[in-house]
Amino acid sequence: FKGFVIAVPVGASMQPSLNPGERQVSDVVLLNHWSIRNYEVQRGDIVSLVSPKNPEQKIIKRVIALEGDIVKTIGYKNKYVKIPDGHIWVEGDHHGHSFDSNAFGPVSLGLLHARATHILWPPRRWQKLQPMLPPERTPLHSNQE
Amino acid sequence: MLRDVMGKTFRLLGYTIQYGCIAHCAFEYLGGIVVCSGPSMEPTIQNSDIVFSENLSRHFYCIQKGDIVIAKSPNDPKSNICKRVIGLEGDKVCISSPSDFRKSHSYVPKGHVWLEGDNLRNSTDSRCYGPVPYGLIRGRICFKIWPLNDFGFLRASPNGHRFLND
Repeated sequence: FKGFVIAVPVGASMQPSLNPGERQVSDVVLLNHWSIRNYEVQRGDIVSLVSPKNPEQKIIKRVIALEGDIVKTIGYKNKYVKIPDGHIWVEGDHHGHSFDSNAFGPVSLGLLHARATHILWPPRRWQKLQPMLPPERTPLHSNQE
Repeated sequence: MLRDVMGKTFRLLGYTIQYGCIAHCAFEYLGGIVVCSGPSMEPTIQNSDIVFSENLSRHFYCIQKGDIVIAKSPNDPKSNICKRVIGLEGDKVCISSPSDFRKSHSYVPKGHVWLEGDNLRNSTDSRCYGPVPYGLIRGRICFKIWPLNDFGFLRASPNGHRFLND
C-alpha cells in the first residue's frame, strides 16, 4: 500500500525516542510508505518492518547500518557482522529491552514497510523525527559509495 | 465551450484516479499476471511462461509446503524470485549441496520458509542464501495461462525426495 499510515508503537524498545513515558501512554507516529518505495534508507532513520520471526507483526526500529557496513554487535552470536547485500541492521534505542538485529541478525530490505516521519500524539511530543545515529552505535566501517 | 472541455477533462482525471486505486488494490490484495523468466523452475515453469499469482494466501498465512510462490529476492528487494516451498517453519530440510558426500540437515527457523527451484541443478535458492523470511512472499502461483498447450493448474514437485518427513 502506498501512502501514509498512523501507527501506535507498543513497548519500551525505542525509548527514549518513542514512548518515553509510563506504559499506559503510547506515542502515535506517522508512517510514510511512499518514501521507502525504492528501498532508500539512511543510517539513523526510524523504520517499520515486518518482523523476520513473526510475519503477522510489524516492529519499529532504527537503521544502524546498511549493506557493506561492519557493525560491532551487542549480544549477537558473532561479535562483528558485515551486512550482506540487500540487508540492513536495525536496533531499538533501548538496548537490552529490544528484539532487534542483535537477536535475529541482518534483515532483508524487502521486509521494510515504512519510515516513521513524525510523532503526532500526544500534542506535547509533536515533532518531526530526524535521522539520528547514536554515536556509540556508528558502524566500524561504513560502505562508502 | 471551454467549460465543457474542462469539465470532461476533470471527469476523465477522476475516473483515471479511481481506476488506478482499484487496480492497485486488486494487484496488491487479490493477485495478478506474472511473466516468469529463467530456468530454475523447469520443467514446471519454463522461461517466458505467463502465470497467475494470487495474493490472498499470503495475507491469510495459509501458504503450504509444495506451493510455488513469488517472493522478493532476499539480496535484492527490487527483484523477484519464483520458487517452490520445500519447508515451513519448524520443518526439517536438507541443506547440503549435491556434491557433499554426507547429507546435513537443519530446521527452518520461525517466521521463515525454505525455497527451492524445481530445476535443482540450475537454481539459486535457499540452498545458497538460506531460509527466506515469510514476510518476503508476495503471492502464490496457482495457474499457468501461457503457453496454451500447458494451460492449467501447476504440477506437483518433481523432487518429492526433497520434502522430508519428521
